[in-house]
Amino acid sequence: MSTPYTDVLSAVTRQRGVLGCLLVSEADGIIVEANVQVGIEAGVAGALVASLYRRARLGTDAAGLATVGFLQLEAEQGHVCAVGRDGLVLATLAEPKAHIGLIRSAMLRALEVL
Amino acid sequence: MSDDIRRLSEELARDPSSIVFLQLGEALRRSAQLDLALRVASRGVERHAGNADAHDLLARVRVDRGELAEATVEWEAVLRLAPDHVGARKGLGYVLYKQHRLEEAEHHLGLAAEQGDPAVDTALRMVRRLLRYTNGSEPPHGPSPNGDRLAAAERRVEDEARRLFADILGDGPQTALLLDGEGLVTAGAYVTADGEDVAQDVGAALTGVRDEADRTVKHLRLGAWRAVMYETDVATIALGPVLADSLALVAAARTLPLGLVRRVLDRCIQRAESWLSEVV
Repeated sequence: MSTPYTDVLSAVTRQRGVLGCLLVSEADGIIVEANVQVGIEAGVAGALVASLYRRARLGTDAAGLATVGFLQLEAEQGHVCAVGRDGLVLATLAEPKAHIGLIRSAMLRALEVL
Repeated sequence: MSDDIRRLSEELARDPSSIVFLQLGEALRRSAQLDLALRVASRGVERHAGNADAHDLLARVRVDRGELAEATVEWEAVLRLAPDHVGARKGLGYVLYKQHRLEEAEHHLGLAAEQGDPAVDTALRMVRRLLRYTNGSEPPHGPSPNGDRLAAAERRVEDEARRLFADILGDGPQTALLLDGEGLVTAGAYVTADGEDVAQDVGAALTGVRDEADRTVKHLRLGAWRAVMYETDVATIALGPVLADSLALVAAARTLPLGLVRRVLDRCIQRAESWLSEVV
């Protein structure tokens, strides 16, 4: 089934090393659209990334550093990336060797379309 | 009055013997309603004199009111009731540190650390550093420091902390902080263009990101996290874990490339870890 967001997510998941891309509500982590590989629990991932992004945004607001744009969490076994707009968060899960620069560009382009 | 405080107040009014006063007192304390918090906590202690958490709540309210001696009495009561109470050990460690009773502060913080609370790790290291500088080359359990030696030791530690990242940052449009497990600034500086020191505010606002990062990597099975970086309209923020409880934070102008900010963060983490690890 295709939604208005399917093409937006596909543009990100096409990048090398991307394991999944999700569009979630920032406030409650509810999934709007998800395209993830088998084995990834989209609901859990969406909720966690939305919460991380929200915490960063609130902290940044409180610190007077204006709006959060692209966020990246780097861990031993992968990356989590997120960008947000109008209460939505576009989240991407990627392998450790993924090219974050290309993923970032794809996510920022996708954000403009949302 | 927040919805939570109203709900908890109504619940306590319906059943004055309920231990919901613990939640209500804490909510009032967190919202800086310290007079009300004191009243709730004091009544709670009267009704539940054998409840260690009641005394702990009252102690925390007393500390927030700057009443360190009264807080000490309450935390000592906690330890009589529950000798393994980590909160009381941490609290006493903090109060004794503020009172310049460093050996005793180290004792309580050390016990809290032994009981598995990683959030005291940095505080304990800082107390031990002060003790080392105060007592010269003697081990931490040396004689009680006199005022002059202690003041000199504090100045030395403050100076080291302020300059910890200076050579890494240079004169570039970037700054760095080392935050402890409570989000308090241990080292570094964050001064705005108009000269205002906002280090504590920035540290307190951003330290919660660590909990979210911990939770995310745990549930997604990503192993340990190394960095969280995000771009804002005015700056790039990079955070990285330091030892068990601390956090390094680098803030740089948006004009600096992300990769450079990441390298600066790595160097700040290494510097912070080696500085903190000088004292075990």
